[in-house]
Amino acid sequence: MPQPLNSKDQSLFRQVVRHFELKQYKKGIKTAEQILRKNPNHGDTQAMKALITSHLGQSEEAFALAKEALRNDMKSHICWHVYGLLYRQEKNYEEAIKAYRFALRIEPESQPIQRDLALLQMQMRDFQGYIQSRNAMLQARPGFRQNWTALAIAHHLAGDLAEAEKVLTTYEDTLKGNPPVADMEHSEAVLYKNTIIAESGNIQKALDHLEAVGYRCTDVLAVMEMKADYLLRLDRKAEAEAAYTALLERNPENSIYYNGLIKAKGISEGDHKALKTLYDRWVEKYPRSDAARRIPLDFLEGDEFKQAVDAYLQRMLKKGVPSLFANIKYLYTTPAKRDVVQTLVEGYVSGNAGAQTNGSAGAKEDKIEFLSSAYYFLAQHYNYRVSRNLPKALENVDKAIELAPKAVEYQLTKARIWKHYGNPIKAAEEMEKARLLDEKDRYINSKSAKYQLRNNENDKGLDLMSKFTRNETVGGALGDLHEMQCVWFLAEDGEAFLRQKKLALALKRFHSVYNIFDTWQEDQFDFHSFSLRKGMVRAYVDMVRWEDRLREHPYYTRMAFSAIKAYLLLHDQPGLVYGPGGTNGEEAVDEADKKKAQKKAKKEQQRLEKLETDKREARKAAAANAKNIDGEIKKEDPDPLGLDLVQTKDPLKDVMKFLTPLLELSSQNIESQNLGFEVYLRRNKHLLAVKCLSAAHAIDPSNPTLHLQLLRFRKALDSLSEPLPAQVAEVVNAEFEKLLPKSQKLDEWNESFLSANKGSVAHVQAALSGRQFLNPGSKSQSEKDLLATLDVPGITIDEAVAALDLLSRWGSDKTVYAQKASKKWPESSVFQPN
Amino acid sequence: MVDIVPLSSYPSYIDLLPAIQTCNITNLPENYFLKYYLYHALTWPQLSFVAVVRPRAGYKSGSIAGDYPKVVGYVLAKMEEEPTDGLQHGHITSISVMRTHRRLGIAERLMRMSQRAMAESHRANYVSLHVRVSNTAALRLYRDTLGFEVQKVEEKYYADGEDAYAMRLNLENQWLDWAAIEKRDREIEAEKDGADGDDNANQDDGDEAGELGTKKEEDKMVRVKVGRGLGVGDLVEKNESQT
Repeated sequence: MPQPLNSKDQSLFRQVVRHFELKQYKKGIKTAEQILRKNPNHGDTQAMKALITSHLGQSEEAFALAKEALRNDMKSHICWHVYGLLYRQEKNYEEAIKAYRFALRIEPESQPIQRDLALLQMQMRDFQGYIQSRNAMLQARPGFRQNWTALAIAHHLAGDLAEAEKVLTTYEDTLKGNPPVADMEHSEAVLYKNTIIAESGNIQKALDHLEAVGYRCTDVLAVMEMKADYLLRLDRKAEAEAAYTALLERNPENSIYYNGLIKAKGISEGDHKALKTLYDRWVEKYPRSDAARRIPLDFLEGDEFKQAVDAYLQRMLKKGVPSLFANIKYLYTTPAKRDVVQTLVEGYVSGNAGAQTNGSAGAKEDKIEFLSSAYYFLAQHYNYRVSRNLPKALENVDKAIELAPKAVEYQLTKARIWKHYGNPIKAAEEMEKARLLDEKDRYINSKSAKYQLRNNENDKGLDLMSKFTRNETVGGALGDLHEMQCVWFLAEDGEAFLRQKKLALALKRFHSVYNIFDTWQEDQFDFHSFSLRKGMVRAYVDMVRWEDRLREHPYYTRMAFSAIKAYLLLHDQPGLVYGPGGTNGEEAVDEADKKKAQKKAKKEQQRLEKLETDKREARKAAAANAKNIDGEIKKEDPDPLGLDLVQTKDPLKDVMKFLTPLLELSSQNIESQNLGFEVYLRRNKHLLAVKCLSAAHAIDPSNPTLHLQLLRFRKALDSLSEPLPAQVAEVVNAEFEKLLPKSQKLDEWNESFLSANKGSVAHVQAALSGRQFLNPGSKSQSEKDLLATLDVPGITIDEAVAALDLLSRWGSDKTVYAQKASKKWPESSVFQPN
Repeated sequence: MVDIVPLSSYPSYIDLLPAIQTCNITNLPENYFLKYYLYHALTWPQLSFVAVVRPRAGYKSGSIAGDYPKVVGYVLAKMEEEPTDGLQHGHITSISVMRTHRRLGIAERLMRMSQRAMAESHRANYVSLHVRVSNTAALRLYRDTLGFEVQKVEEKYYADGEDAYAMRLNLENQWLDWAAIEKRDREIEAEKDGADGDDNANQDDGDEAGELGTKKEEDKMVRVKVGRGLGVGDLVEKNESQT
């Protein structure tokens, strides 16, 4: 039963609340304890104490106390509210919402509870609940514009555009006259309404509205972009032309505007003359603009192309624009253009450049810069996939470096050439030379770190990164890279560990990136209230929608692919839990060897653990001397080596959190489906596995990975240890029949795939794996065929490395293949025996 | 080819934020967590701009959104929240261009776009920024090309102990003509009610910034810390306790 406080204690209780609000937590606790001494079972006070305790980081104690508070006073909205807040803190939003609802039932008029509930509903995308909450908040305080806007947003996101517009209009109708131009909240709300109208598909109405209100909106660029888009969609060509012209006058470096202008003028894609005239006019108007000069190179052909690209190349080489090649290489999809460019630039270095010698004082220097830029261009040209000739690339880059020994970009390119030679060791060395040319530049430092990681030198990579991180933070340089959410490094670091089969650390890094994405999703929470106050609601709604597809980002997909591969590897070779030496692969066939290897791996692991403990102790000691600058309490990671992660009982369960967003948001990426299949097959989820196969088949029916997976799935269905439930079997069989009919003879099917795809190494490898899978006795033939792929024109080093991996899986000897590959690519290091 | 686009206009390219953050941490020692970028994008969506590499075959849907092109430069900008001189002004929080994409005038264009938006959207009196005293290339851009003037030297402004020039550029010449807008307001009003002697001209713009009662802007010396330490969460919590 709740016990009422006497008036003195009541005033103390108010103090507790104030202490909490002012973040004076220690005082708050003290005051709360003072009340509790006299009223030990006072629920509200216990609840407040629990809330403060949780803010001090002691969440377990907080929960225990909050529960006790509730037991003492089930009918207190404060107790329920606090209970909800604790759950929110734990990010258990479902439970938090439940608690808030209880609190609100007891105290329906409470604004803070209503607001907290609404925020969570938004975070959870419970739009119907959010509409309800926002309605209640609007009714309580209809005088605030943001309450109207919030309700409109609720309807908008729930998909009811008409209602959203109506709410905004209702508020506008209460305004007497126009608010001042300076009223940005108004300006934004008006434009927000306009986007809702446009989204509902009535572009004419949106345009009319924009014409009526746009002149007084201060986000001038947005109004111009909206107007141009609407006009074009309404096919009002002359006005659209004027609108895109105006946009280009603001910013001639936006190809989207040019596209709009061309559409507005009704110029067809094939009318190169008209297009060229159009772009030329913009070059005239803005001689320094790049876009108008560059875009025509995409469509021009023959002599026209040659002339235009000649002028373009010479101009850019004279300016020494380092991104010239990156910009030009896109033209190489047309081989004729590639050849023209090559001939031209080769001509420049042999003295055939046009009017670049004018005999003036700086002429010699200019000439040298032009020449070195041209050599640099050629180096990149011959380093590029479709025009690759690595010895020539090296020759040109050396000439460029000779002329300009301090140019970081030239040296950087040299490193990239060595990367393409299949020599990550030399590549990392050359990149380090580039870094030393400008030690204060973080860009080249980042590159050098990346090249160390590509060479599996994790420590060296981190060491380089530490030159630009705050190393006094908890966890040192690595801790700072986590805190600053340096996704690229963490992912690369993880991939390097994965290549070395150091699964614990690989998983550790992938989970770190995963957690960063969680944080990024969490980040939106505060903006649910913040943005309403700021009034920038269009940007807010854009953000909400983006957050819903956050994990379609390539940073996520790339990391998740690697994480899934790590888990699959762990499942297939559980010995790897002890480190790379603990594998039960082909290197340690007999039991004794295996044990020995595992023991060795375990020892290595213990050594790492000790190292880590020492480091931590050292940091602790240092921290005791110099207090953390931020004054924040940062926890040490209890599992810095990822041992808890790798020692999982169920890798196939853990992997799901990486896989699910891929299948949801990146389902059109065939690798998502390929990996989904691998996971589901191992989990004996045949229905889900066949779903992945179907999806992959729809994307690319001749995908090599899919080919092998189809074979494996047929075999898996043929050799089930116990039959699938009848209903499942029916669907699976029907679905799979479409992909690989049961009547099909697998051997024949596989061989015909092989002969149909002779020119593609990846396909041949898949077919050979298929053959090996169907008929292990054919191993020597498959090994021979695999060796022969080294003579397939265009085989890449990566493909050859993949072949070594295949041989490992077949339990074959890799020596012959590696020797032949090594002869084919004499500069490479990846085929050398370790 | 590089396209220069607004971060958050119509349509929104806010999904470029992770790549912008990567561009920053690849190039510069002053880094911020993503929420700080979000904070900029959602408080002053008009002011930040991005340079992206146009994909080989253009953008898939005609728009950059969902395409995730490579980001090679950005300008992250804001309005000063509590200007000590009482003058509305913009501030460049961070700008960088990948060194592989220099000499194309990208930084200049990013700056000009942002400056114009500051003047138009926020009626900024001027824009301010800090630059390392050793960064001659940037100094040349700000002073010689864009017309910034050095206000003062801030000693040991950067975490590594280097001094900064505090620079600024007046923006009043790019302001919108509010009088003309208000005149049009009146004309429309007059058209509507036939005849009316309404005078709502010359409203004071004292409340332009709205209720910006948030956290104090960075002090010198702790600039690096601001990005790290400044959680928008703190801002919000603090503000909510007042309502």
